[in-house]
Amino acid sequence: MRMTTGARIFWTRCAMLLAALLCWEVYARLWADTRFVSPPSLVLHAAIFELFREPGVIDALVTSLWILFVAYALAILFGVAIGLAVGWSSFGRKAFFPVVLLLYGIPQVILLPLFVLIFGIGPACKIAFGLSHGFFPIAVNVISGMKNINILYLRSGHSLGASSFDIARYIYLPNMLQSLFTGLRLGMTLTLLGVVLAELYVSTQGIGYWTKLYAETHDPAPLFALIAILALMAVILNELVRAIERRGLRWRG
Amino acid sequence: MNKMTPAGQIVSSQTAAISIQNVRQQYPGRHSSAAVLALDDISLDIPRGEFVCLLGPSGCGKSTLLNIVGGLIKPTAGKVQVSGRTIDGPSPRDIAFIFQESTLLPWYTIRENFHVSFKFSRIARSEWQSRTEEALAAVGMSRFIDHYPEQLSVGMRQRVNLARGIALGTDIILMDEPFAALDEQTRMVLGEDLSELLAKTGKTIVFVTHSLAEAVFLSDRVYVMAARPGRLKTIVEIDEPHPRSPDFMLTTRFGDLRNQLYGLLRDEVREGLQIERKSSAAAGRT
Ligand SMILES: Nc1ncnc2c1ncn2[C@@H]1O[C@H](COP(=O)(O)OP(=O)(O)OP(=O)(O)O)[C@@H](O)[C@H]1O
Ligand SMILES: [Mg+2]
Repeated sequence: MRMTTGARIFWTRCAMLLAALLCWEVYARLWADTRFVSPPSLVLHAAIFELFREPGVIDALVTSLWILFVAYALAILFGVAIGLAVGWSSFGRKAFFPVVLLLYGIPQVILLPLFVLIFGIGPACKIAFGLSHGFFPIAVNVISGMKNINILYLRSGHSLGASSFDIARYIYLPNMLQSLFTGLRLGMTLTLLGVVLAELYVSTQGIGYWTKLYAETHDPAPLFALIAILALMAVILNELVRAIERRGLRWRG
Repeated sequence: MNKMTPAGQIVSSQTAAISIQNVRQQYPGRHSSAAVLALDDISLDIPRGEFVCLLGPSGCGKSTLLNIVGGLIKPTAGKVQVSGRTIDGPSPRDIAFIFQESTLLPWYTIRENFHVSFKFSRIARSEWQSRTEEALAAVGMSRFIDHYPEQLSVGMRQRVNLARGIALGTDIILMDEPFAALDEQTRMVLGEDLSELLAKTGKTIVFVTHSLAEAVFLSDRVYVMAARPGRLKTIVEIDEPHPRSPDFMLTTRFGDLRNQLYGLLRDEVREGLQIERKSSAAAGRT
């Protein structure tokens, strides 16, 4: 049977994942301390019979997802708006882009106590912290997407009497789409990071809270299950953005 | 119509499609001493329905002048009138601009590119489809209406780009080295097509080129410019009906005109190169 290259790559990846899980299973059953490491089979068991039976966990997942989406939506809104504003003129880029990059470089975890102080320990704090993580990669990529535009496209647009909105919608936006999507994917991952970090630190609900709980009570199976769910979420969301990206960039062939 | 003799004399305000009056353009440099005087007091009238060329050494301000006429740059002094109206910003109803490289947007198909530029210039939506189809048919590119620009060769792309400019239906078309990116054969062929396309329409065309043959073959009138500062040097008239056949290029008159233009330009170009060398030597010393 002959396979396409794409199929071969797909199955090779699956085999690799399976092999890794198998090694883990063998190691966990034979040598590991069960207070710290669970074999994948038990993790799966715990996920089905423990986690999903626990209404608190389901609630936590829903809460975290909800917070994530609000934070991400706000990150997109602010990231694109401020990115457009800064990237629009070369003056704006010269004046403000270095500032944005500087702020982007600060590890924001050190600001977390400040966020708690300002926003309390409710959802607002997690949304704000997720937003502060997701905002920067989006803004930075929007700005660099606007920087490398062919001047002749703009001049041609102006000569046709295009309005600023027209120029943004039909020239700048498509031109920076590639770079915007890179920002959107990075922004998604970082927003998730920000939300989970905030939950680990302050929360009495959400996924972060439950992971902390299971870790402190040395119950590794559901802990691993939760981590796997988080990872899965990140992968799915990432793929989602990529699927939209592929549609948006069809013209690249 | 009064005959124009020395540089920059008035033709007659009625017949002038474009009237450039005492235009100066100074670009600010990094320091005030580095300011560039790109155009120094240019006055000329371009008669309605003529195909005119701007010819001159690199840096003499051809693109600058074209951008001023198109309303993309406000001149430091002086003004431009189109059909008696003073230009203040782009006027897509009267003036179409066709640029150096193909400015077709790579993320849209040819059809979408036409539609976007109609949208920009606020042409009624009901006309988009028919205008697109007619313009593409006129240049023999109908088959490619749903292709992306990158699927076409550079020559085909510029052919489409010309069609797009013409489809705007303006009385005036400004072209800044539209064939610069093409090989010589393709540009000759496109030039012939252009001459044919525009012969009947009575449009006023201002065309910037570096090619002497192109200037002679296409224009009714060549404005020869001098550099540093950019100014008008002479006007050479080319009295030959449109559309012009390739046979025109074989005549001795064609050769004479071409040589005359070269004679006018070579000193300018040499001088330009010398100044270039001097100023770069000076820059090297500091
Ligand atoms: N935006 C600008 N800022 C500063 N100087 C400029 C600017 N645009 C053009 N110049 C200068 O003005 C002069 C005329 O430029 P312009 O592009 O109009 O020349 P051109 O005749 O079109 O040249 P070419 O044949 O090389 O296209 C040049 O010396 C150029 O360096
Ligand atoms: Mg130029």
